[in-house]
Amino acid sequence: APIIIKFSHVVANETPKGQAANYFKKLAEERTKGRVKIEVYPNSQLFKDKEEMEALQMGSVQMLAPSLAKFAPLGLKEFELFDLPFIFDDYTELHKVTQGPIGAKLLKRLETKGLIGLAYWDNGFKVMSANKPLKKPEDMRGQKMRIQSSKVLDSQMRSVGAIPQVLAFSEVYQALQTGVVDGTENPPSNLYTQKMHEVQKYVTMTNHGYLGYAVLVNKKFWMGLPADIRAALESSMKDATNYANSVAKKDNDEAMAGVKKSGKSQIINLSAQEKAAWRKAMDKTHKENAARIGADVLKEVYTATGYKP
Amino acid sequence: MMKYLDHLEEWIITFLIGAATLVIFAAVVHRYASGLPIPGLQDWLLTVNMSWAQELCIYMFVWMAKFGAAYGVRTGIHVGVDVLINRLPEKWRKTSVLLGLSSGVLFTGIIATLGAGFVWENGMHYAVFNKFGMALGDLYEGPITPDLEWPTWIVYLAIPLGSSLMCFRFMQVAWTFARTGELPHHDHSHVDGLDDTIVDATDALEEYEAHKFDKNAEQGGVK
Amino acid sequence: MSAHAETKELMTPKKAATWVVAIIISLAAIASFGNAGIVFALLIGLMLTGMPISISLGLTVLTFLFFMSNVPVETVAMKLFTGIEKFEIMAIPFFILAGNFLTHGGVAKRMINFATSMVGHWHGGLGLAGVMACALFAAVSGSSPATVVAIGSILLPAMVKAGFPRNFGAGVIATSGSLGILIPPSIVMVIYAVATNSSVGALFMAGVIPGLMLAALLGSVAWYRARKFNYPRLPKATTKERLIAFKESIWGLLLIVIVLGGIYSGLFTPTEAAAMSAVYAFFVAVFVYKDMSIKGIPKVLRDSANMSSMLLYIITNAVLFSYLMTSEQIPQIMADWIIGHNLGVIAFLAVTNILLLLAGNVMEPSSIILILAPILFPVAMKLGIDPIHFGILMTVNMEVGMCHPPVGLNLYVASGITKMGISELTMAVLPWLIAMVGFMLLITYVPIISLWLPRMLGY
Ligand code: NA
Ligand code: NA
Repeated sequence: APIIIKFSHVVANETPKGQAANYFKKLAEERTKGRVKIEVYPNSQLFKDKEEMEALQMGSVQMLAPSLAKFAPLGLKEFELFDLPFIFDDYTELHKVTQGPIGAKLLKRLETKGLIGLAYWDNGFKVMSANKPLKKPEDMRGQKMRIQSSKVLDSQMRSVGAIPQVLAFSEVYQALQTGVVDGTENPPSNLYTQKMHEVQKYVTMTNHGYLGYAVLVNKKFWMGLPADIRAALESSMKDATNYANSVAKKDNDEAMAGVKKSGKSQIINLSAQEKAAWRKAMDKTHKENAARIGADVLKEVYTATGYKP
Repeated sequence: MMKYLDHLEEWIITFLIGAATLVIFAAVVHRYASGLPIPGLQDWLLTVNMSWAQELCIYMFVWMAKFGAAYGVRTGIHVGVDVLINRLPEKWRKTSVLLGLSSGVLFTGIIATLGAGFVWENGMHYAVFNKFGMALGDLYEGPITPDLEWPTWIVYLAIPLGSSLMCFRFMQVAWTFARTGELPHHDHSHVDGLDDTIVDATDALEEYEAHKFDKNAEQGGVK
Repeated sequence: MSAHAETKELMTPKKAATWVVAIIISLAAIASFGNAGIVFALLIGLMLTGMPISISLGLTVLTFLFFMSNVPVETVAMKLFTGIEKFEIMAIPFFILAGNFLTHGGVAKRMINFATSMVGHWHGGLGLAGVMACALFAAVSGSSPATVVAIGSILLPAMVKAGFPRNFGAGVIATSGSLGILIPPSIVMVIYAVATNSSVGALFMAGVIPGLMLAALLGSVAWYRARKFNYPRLPKATTKERLIAFKESIWGLLLIVIVLGGIYSGLFTPTEAAAMSAVYAFFVAVFVYKDMSIKGIPKVLRDSANMSSMLLYIITNAVLFSYLMTSEQIPQIMADWIIGHNLGVIAFLAVTNILLLLAGNVMEPSSIILILAPILFPVAMKLGIDPIHFGILMTVNMEVGMCHPPVGLNLYVASGITKMGISELTMAVLPWLIAMVGFMLLITYVPIISLWLPRMLGY
């Protein structure tokens, strides 16, 4: 009988992560010549956001691709650096970290929790949306902004006087439509596929924060695999990662084009100067969270990317 | 002794549902008030962090659900499919009910054990060993909840504790049933207070009975 | 547990033995259909012993995982916590609490008087008021069981007191409560939209007309039956009496404004609205109408907690069962069968309905949608079915599923409020359930009912 790897994730098959997971399945099954069978469970069918990490540690599932914001609850607060606003200016700076020694070092820390990190998969850079034009950081004051549960995102919103509100992803559309929250932050592909642009008047191209995932496996399971299979899976993961990142980038570009074409919300582009004002206003977040995240690792990232408030 | 356990159980669920309501009330009022551009007040409200409210509410309700489910065994509120067994001969029915109750004991007992194991592996092991300075080996510190940052093993304790209590309640009920043939029965229709609440509807009905042959009743649409 | 001794007609041991043997043989036959068969046979067998449904669901999962799979059984312990770790689900205890404050605090009394004064003189008057109240409440709540609780806990006891047979009231409210997921807002629709990447706004719009139609249909059934069996009608109230009743009940009616207005104006999410209504109901009961003393509060809280816990315990175990289904890939096996048999649109929709109705026997709606929508949706798209229409079809199906056993949340809630067992309740909802199945076929094969409004509004 083939070795079965249950790969569970919480998004739809059509999303970049969903596509990448299916692409990995295809490569891995080909390259192991059927000795491994990968069962992909999308849409939180098997495990929800809140339980998948523990399920992986327990061995109820073998592979996951959780968002990087989910690592702090495991006790690995250093991963919160990925949530910091404006820490990466663009994909080049980002990949210096995720595909370089710092990223590898961070993944290594997972082993203390019984997990192994195989790769980082991009989702993209976030834009701000609301029903009033958010041109300056001062425009955020008093705005109720939906975030996903994360201490850093919470403090990022507070740094500009906004009121962060944690809401389940499935509730966001309705909350935006009725005005329970005024706005939110998302990579364009999420904004567009969830139709949030239909219920938001303005989208500001802040590109202020990064959203990404890491592919994880259960350590005991992984170490127990025959070496040749592990090698085949690793090479499949490498190709799937390139695929994931290119699909994510393409999806985000297409999504922004879709938002523009729909005419349902107005797109606000920021000049370099305006962006600098946002960066400056949100820099507080870095200071407030430096102790949590770890000053050493932050310094390494700053050196790699040249971050300056 | 038993009385104290009963009271504790009741007190826990009463407190949890009440407190959860107040927490969400406070969070909504806070969020709404912070959006109002009132100088001074808004500044102060923006410094107050209520982000933990939803998480706390969820945990309070999960705890309520686990202990409430045990309380529910005592009050007989858990529903089952009674099509078949209600028509079986008395002795068969008794066996069937006992079988059902024993299954309850079995299930909740297994869950209590599994739950305890899960909680232990999920960080309690580490926490206990760490506390008493024992060798930690390759044990890892358990996860924490995202907003409140509480150790999840403490939060998850609801499963072994609630299930143990529920198991005990099933045993109690089975024992009583085996001896006396009596089951706790939740009188589902008896929403307390209704007896006096509905008096007016009844009054209306009586009034109708009294006046239905009046000639004015034509207007009442009663034929 | 179970059992209402008054209604039972006992079998002779010989007849009982025949029944038991027949059931065992049928279950063995079901079990021979591979893993899916074993799961269902086990579940049905356990449930027939009369044990709580939550326990049968849980034991089925445990037994299967332990003997027939290599999934660690500790997963079950975790799922028992995380299965209900969802803020949306928490609307249920809040609405139960609000309902209890309303019933205890004299709000119910005044609301009932108002409803009675308006439609009490029609055939099935209070029943019609119940349908209307459920439709109104559905416009503020995204959940069906919560709708049954909120309206049922007030109206059902009142109907019994007013002289209606218990089964009439239970039938009306248990089925009308299902409007909760068809009339927007609807958690089920949002989940469908996310799973299939369709527009939530369009789905909500699409739910409005079918929702109103179903309300009218359920009301008609109530009216017809009330007329046929000559249920009590009240004398027609004068305008002055109506105004007085309205004034008296204004504090209770305001709750609808608070919840409705609160959600549509964006003050609250549905769960928050539920919590706010609980606080408001408490306030009105204790400080405005003063029908309840502070001393009575702990008992209301405790009773609400008791009822909520029972529901949450079933939901948890239903989630657990859904996990077993997914883990054994049972939905996929079903889907392969559909595609393998090369069906046309009409047959595919028929099979979809049957599949969803079957799933409605054992799972709660959000799990069904999350598991089956991604499987059925691509097939539907290939056959050229409109995604919004397909979403409404699934929602109406979920409504039917909630009104019949073994897993039918509306029934459990109604059974919690009335003093009726599940089997008795099943008979009670039958007239309305049949109407709903007819309505479901209408929705299935006449897409324009769902699509007209969203198209008018440019979706
Ligand atoms: Na609704
Ligand atoms: Na059902």
